[in-house]
Formats: sequence, C-alpha cells, structure tokens
Amino acid sequence: MTVAWQDEQKRLTPEDLQAVTFPLSRLGRRGYDEDHVRTFLQDVERELVTLLNEKVSLWNEVERLRRRIMGTKSSGDGVLFGREDAHIHAVRILSSAQLTADRYVADAQAYSHRLTEEARTRRDEILSEAQQHADMVLEEASSRAREAALATLNAPPVPPQMEADRSALKAELAYLRTFGEVYRTHLRAYTEGMLRSIAEWERNEAGAIQQASAETGRSAGGAIKRSR
Amino acid sequence: MDVLRLKDSFAKIALHGDEVPLFFYSDLFIKHPEVRDLFPISMKAQRDHLVGALGQIVGQVDRVDDLTLFLQGLGRDHRKFGALAEHYDVVGDSLLATLAHFAGDTWTPELASDWRDAYSLVASVMITAAKQDEATRPAFWQGTVVSCERKAFDVSVLRVRPEPRLDFVPGQSVAIESPQRPRLWRYYSIANAPREDGTLEFHVRLIDGGAVSMALTCGQAAGGSLRLGPPVGVLTLDTSSRRDILMVAGSTGLAPLKALTEQVASMPRPPKVHLFCCARTADGLYDLPSLDNMATQHRWLTVVPTVTSDHAFKGETGSVPDVILRSGSWSGHDAYLAGPTEMVRETSARLTSAGTPRDQIHIEDFGWSEP
Repeated sequence: MTVAWQDEQKRLTPEDLQAVTFPLSRLGRRGYDEDHVRTFLQDVERELVTLLNEKVSLWNEVERLRRRIMGTKSSGDGVLFGREDAHIHAVRILSSAQLTADRYVADAQAYSHRLTEEARTRRDEILSEAQQHADMVLEEASSRAREAALATLNAPPVPPQMEADRSALKAELAYLRTFGEVYRTHLRAYTEGMLRSIAEWERNEAGAIQQASAETGRSAGGAIKRSR
Repeated sequence: MDVLRLKDSFAKIALHGDEVPLFFYSDLFIKHPEVRDLFPISMKAQRDHLVGALGQIVGQVDRVDDLTLFLQGLGRDHRKFGALAEHYDVVGDSLLATLAHFAGDTWTPELASDWRDAYSLVASVMITAAKQDEATRPAFWQGTVVSCERKAFDVSVLRVRPEPRLDFVPGQSVAIESPQRPRLWRYYSIANAPREDGTLEFHVRLIDGGAVSMALTCGQAAGGSLRLGPPVGVLTLDTSSRRDILMVAGSTGLAPLKALTEQVASMPRPPKVHLFCCARTADGLYDLPSLDNMATQHRWLTVVPTVTSDHAFKGETGSVPDVILRSGSWSGHDAYLAGPTEMVRETSARLTSAGTPRDQIHIEDFGWSEP
C-alpha cells in the first residue's frame, strides 16, 4: 500500500483516501473486492470531510465567543488574550468604575455645597430684612412718641381729642409690638423649618450613600470573580 | 540603589498624572479585594495623597533623616486606617506592577530592583514605627456621642466619651471619622482640658458642601458612635514661661484656646489672659455665654468679643489685627493664635512687626500628614 499519510508529520486527508492504491493480490489468491474497498473509502472520505468542516466551524464559534468575552478587539487573525492582557483589561474596567463613583460623590458634594450656600445667603437676607423692618418700626414708634411729647409740652390747652390721640397711639404701639412678635415667630419657624429640611436631607443622603456603597461592594465582588 | 535612575524614572512615570494612582489602586483591589474596605468611596483625594507622598519620598530619598521622620509619622498615621504589616507586601507588589506598566520598554531588571529596594526600606521604616506606636496606644478610640448642641446657625458643640480614656495635652487635635462617612477622617481640636469623666468637646462648624462636618453637625444624636485618632498638634501651653498671655480665636479656632484657658485656670498662679474672640458677625460668637461665665469666675481672664464685618455690633469691630493692636501692647506676651489660616497669618505678621518676638507666637503647625 502506498499512502502519503504514513509520513509522521502529515495528517490523513480525504485526498489521501482518494489517491490511495492497493496492489493487486497475486493470481489465484483471494483478495478484497476492489469495488467494496472503493465504496468503503468513499464513506470514510465523506465522514472525514464532515468532521473537518465541523471542526472549522466550532473553532470559529470559539473565536467568536472569545472575542465577545474580551470585548472590543476584533482580532480576525485569532490572537489570543493572555492572562496579562485580561488583568490589564480588568484594571481598566475597575478604574473607569472608580472614576464614575468619584464623579457621583463630587456631584453630590457640589450640589450640597450649592444648597447650603443658598440657604445661608437666604437666611442672611431674611435676617437683615427683618432687622431693617424692626429698626424702621422702632424708629417710627420713637418719632411718634417724640411728637406726642412735644405736642403735650407745646399745647397748654388740652384739646379734647388729645386723649383720643394718645389712646390711638397706644393702640398703634401695641399693634406694632404684636406685628414685630408675629414677624419674629414667622422668621423663627421659617429658619427652623429650613434647618429641619437640611437635617432630613442629610439623613436621606446618609441612607442613600450606605445603600450605594453596599451596592458598589456587591458589584465590585462580581467583577472580580469574573476576571479570575 | 541608583538614586538618580530612580528619580529619573519616577519623573517620567509621573507625567502620566492621575492614570498612575488610578492603575495602582485598581491593580491592588483586583489582586486583593479585601483591601478595598480600608478606603473611602471616592478615591480622588486618596490618589492625590498617594502621588504627593510618593513625590515626597522620592524627592527625599537621599536625605535619610528627613525621610525617616516623615515615614515614621506616615506609618503611625496609617494605623487608624486599619493598615497592617501584611498590607505592605501587597501594596509593594501593586506599586511595582504600576511602575513597570507605565515605564513600558524602559523598565529594566536593574530599575525594578532599585524600586524594590527603595520600597522595602520605606515599608520597614513605616512598619517599625507602627509597631512601636502599637505598644503605647490603640490604633483608634471608639467614641460615644454624649450630646450634640447647636450653638449657632452653623456651629455645633459635640461632646464625646472615648473608650478607653484618651490622654492628651490641652490644645491638641484628633482626627474624627463618622460611620456616615466611612474612611473620611478630619482633624478637630479638643475644646477642653482633660476631665475627670474623660469626655472631649469639639466645636464643629458646618462647612458648605463639607462631607464630614455635615455628618458631625446634622446627623448626631446622643449615643451615636465615632472613631477618634491619636492626639496630635503643637499648639500647647508653654508652661515654663512667666509672661502674660494673648489669645486670638477666629470662629471655631476658639476650641484649642478654650482648652488652654482651662489649663491656665488649673495653675496655682495663673498669668493674665486676654482672649480676643473673633467672628464675622455677632451670631458667629457662638460660645460667648460660657466665656463670659469663665471671665466672671477668673479675675485674670479678659474676654474681648470682636466682630469683623458688622458695624452695628456693640463691641470691638474691624479687622482682627487692627482691633488687637489698638487694644494694647503685646510685645511682652506669649501669643496663641487659632482660626482661619488667613487671619492667623496676618495677625502673626502684624504682631511680629509690632515687637512680639517670633518664638513667643504659637500657632498650629499643620505639618502632620492628612489622611
């Protein structure tokens, strides 16, 4: 039998099967029926072709899946990712996740900065407005008191409506005092409300951060398991 | 070890900026996920600290004495962060991997061995300092909030009981970590002299957007827990001096000076103390009632409330150094200053030019490493 694939370096191919020849048996001795041998070899050849095709398509499938796992790189030449590359890849993924987390924290901090700054400014404004108002009320009251005193001094004959004026002034003073009190109460309630909402927001934020950090912990654990 | 080669390679690697510490921490956390827990959620500040510390170490690598002091402090400091001796090896591995990654083709076996030698030197100094520190005190103190009292719109006074007892010198500070802001430590001065019951007071000002100050002022109720680092700081009373004392406190800079005043009160023959308590507006003078109370008890103490930008205030108004210098002559006094950096610097400069010798002016030295 002369068959090329007997060479150790070579693998058996369907072509080898086609080319194979068997020497005829000597006359008078029994041999295989040549047709049967041919038919059998054809079957073997078909089987071999199918196996090889299957192998190629499986290899392509393996390559496709590997590329999908490794992400972007579409290395058609079939270059494998080494352990090193996989680690660098994982480092990059974790780095970008960390940067995202950093940005979230920075944004939250900037937001809280703006909010407290605004609250502080608003408070200063309200206080100074209230102060101005109070000053005005006091000023007005004292100037009226001065006028009233002067009027008493300068007008020896007591006009009958003077008594009425005085009681009107008293009523006015009482009104102003009450007004001032009400205003102060409102201001206090407003400021306390604002402080309460800061505290409320603070509690919410603390909860959210804890939850977020718990989630970060979980997802980080998952990533690490995959990369190994 | 070739120092020049080391410095040269670091300078080249440092050109990659934030990429370098980013790679380092990711490499570390992938290889040793358990270490991630020792760091805060946002790593931005952490990365800057790392680059800063590396720069300082590489810059001083040929000045061993300075470097050793720096590293010893760093080693002690890292105890409260939960750093253990075994962490130094894994950090070293990731550091070398990072340097190799960024050095690329220029990474040679010689360079690798330079860095390995340098790092093991650094690590051994830090580990030794931490071990020595371990023999004398805990890594951190567990604190329980006794009370949290709002004194002004943005200032709260926090009373904390540390466990075990925390010994300190009046004027010193400790780093505080709130469980609401894990792994973020901020320094606060202790506002009292040591007490029988061991409690500590802190004056916390709410800083706009400040992560920790908000957790400490708004989120605290009695019974809450905090962690406290070891006491640090040099703004302490010069007990060998017989001079009278000038104290200038801006805002919550009052805390350490109040502690010093309490210490003076316990002296058999207290010197005269002039305490200027300064704030921007009148409602920033959050602790005046308690100071006035002390002043009525102690004849040696004079408290001068000062407001810088509210001219309607019935007391001293104007810039802090102006008010102080027009109120008297301070060249024969020991001066203790605490408060906003700008105020302290200006006051110190004006006092010096008005004749107070530099070594009689005491200010906090923020040279200790921040976490």
